[in-house]
Amino acid sequence: MATETDGAVDTGTLGAIFGDEQKEKILKYSLYAIAGALLVFLWIPLVVMVVLSFAVNASTFFPFRGFTLAHYTATFADEALMSALWNSVQIATISATIATILGVLASFALARYDFPYKEVYRTFGILPMVIPGVVLGIALLIYFRTLLGVTPGFVTVVLTHSVYGFPFVLLIVTSRLYTFDESLEEAARDLGADPLTVFRDVTLPVVLPAVGAGFLFAWIRSFEDFIRAFFVRGTMDVLTTSMFSMIKYGTAPKMNAISSFIVFVIAVVLAVAMNVGNVTEYVAGTEGDS
Amino acid sequence: MSSETGLTIRQRLLRTFSVQSRKLGLTLSPSIVWLLLLLLAPLTFMVTMSFMNVNDAYQIIWEPTLDNYGQLFAGDGPFWETSFFQSLLLSYEIALVTTILSLVLAFPLAYLLARRGGTTFKVVIFLVLLPFFTMYLVRAYSWFLMFGPSGAINSTLIKLGLVSEPVAAFNFGKTAIIVGLTHAYFPYMLLSLYASLDGLDFSLVEAARDLGASRAETLKDVILPLVMPGIISGSLFVFVPSLGAFITPRFLGQGRVLMIGQLIEERINSLYAIDYGSAASMFIVVSIALAFAVAFRYVSIEDLGGV
Repeated sequence: MATETDGAVDTGTLGAIFGDEQKEKILKYSLYAIAGALLVFLWIPLVVMVVLSFAVNASTFFPFRGFTLAHYTATFADEALMSALWNSVQIATISATIATILGVLASFALARYDFPYKEVYRTFGILPMVIPGVVLGIALLIYFRTLLGVTPGFVTVVLTHSVYGFPFVLLIVTSRLYTFDESLEEAARDLGADPLTVFRDVTLPVVLPAVGAGFLFAWIRSFEDFIRAFFVRGTMDVLTTSMFSMIKYGTAPKMNAISSFIVFVIAVVLAVAMNVGNVTEYVAGTEGDS
Repeated sequence: MSSETGLTIRQRLLRTFSVQSRKLGLTLSPSIVWLLLLLLAPLTFMVTMSFMNVNDAYQIIWEPTLDNYGQLFAGDGPFWETSFFQSLLLSYEIALVTTILSLVLAFPLAYLLARRGGTTFKVVIFLVLLPFFTMYLVRAYSWFLMFGPSGAINSTLIKLGLVSEPVAAFNFGKTAIIVGLTHAYFPYMLLSLYASLDGLDFSLVEAARDLGASRAETLKDVILPLVMPGIISGSLFVFVPSLGAFITPRFLGQGRVLMIGQLIEERINSLYAIDYGSAASMFIVVSIALAFAVAFRYVSIEDLGGV
């Protein structure tokens, strides 16, 4: 930043150039101003929520009655909410594991081999991510209940989320495999390594970070999904459906506390992840929805 | 690994997968089975259901009919006055405005990110990504606290003495939904734009300026065509989920605004009207298929997902 403002000193020549420099400056600062305003827009509702989570009067600022930790204590003592949270963690872990296994295998097929209808398969593989949650949720509910006669519950949510998480793994791992130099594998084989050793010592170390990122994405998508789970959960509650009823029936204090807690956790995880690997590289192009 | 059994398993594995077709079968078949059973079959069944009727005992009557589609547009008045058509139109409007708003807001920030590296980049991207990674439900809820007659915006304005009555613009309704959706999906636009701006050769911009093009001309003739794939894929990723939005209109519309997702959910959950719901869902599915078909004329699927 400093170097660019220094450049403005060098303007003693023509009036026209001076005007141009001025314009450049105005443009640059307005760019910063817009960016700043956007960050405020992104953050203000979350900040308001976090502040309210510590406020005695949890639904509005005024009249202000002081700060308390009581909402957090009450939230973590809420057994129904905690069991819903535990359900969400289990579902996210199992479904992301399934999605990762399917996704990694499929990525190798896409990146390494040619087969008929490859493009159709690829498009189809991305579909679960693109199709709106309402549509996928309802389609699977009708399918499970009416066609298969399965009672919706834990298993149906896991199955639904395993399909939903699949494209995230597929996208991230395939793009890693495309940039992977296959001659490294050939070199290892030429030097006498058998295919399994090549996979373990050459391919795996390169692909593993992408697999990890894919798993993380599938996990988060499952954990935060409301609408798909809402349709196929039966009578079981997951975190998001519990939170949804909390908002519907107006229990703001606990909702603020659990939401703020999630923001804290994610802030820490993201800060760590960003310093370990290149998160942004993986984010572009992966999409989620309500 | 040196034990007898270890070697034989290893050798057997190697022999089994030395053939290309077997490798392909192993890598491809699990996901194909999964996608056929849990994506193609349900969607096909849903399309079929949209042409079938369900009786009062929730049994399917296997006779093809267009009744469900007729019902969507049936009412006292002409079809454009039916609640389904109204909410379809409203959903398009909201999704479209959200997309345009996201584009206008994201462009300057994406441009800034592409031209700035180092700490500025890291801090800004962290500040953008954190709300993005925060649960969707939490973000929709955080806006729910802001809006409404006694929400954070109105109560602060009143407390500051700027207004005496709650301002209607900050009540629940269409504006609130658009703000909530923009907040939710804006990062997709930002990241898509950033991805294409990051690959942009800025010496082209300088060359255009040196050759006498004005800023507006440079933007229109040099920058925009080069980032078009980013704009198209970003728009798609904002438009599509906005069209099928459910939580945001539910919280921020407070019953005043009925988007198509809510309309379908109500019928399915209260009446288990899977025939009506399937037919209504087809309008979302077809709209999205059309949006993608248009987008694919300008960008490849690789640009959309990085595959």
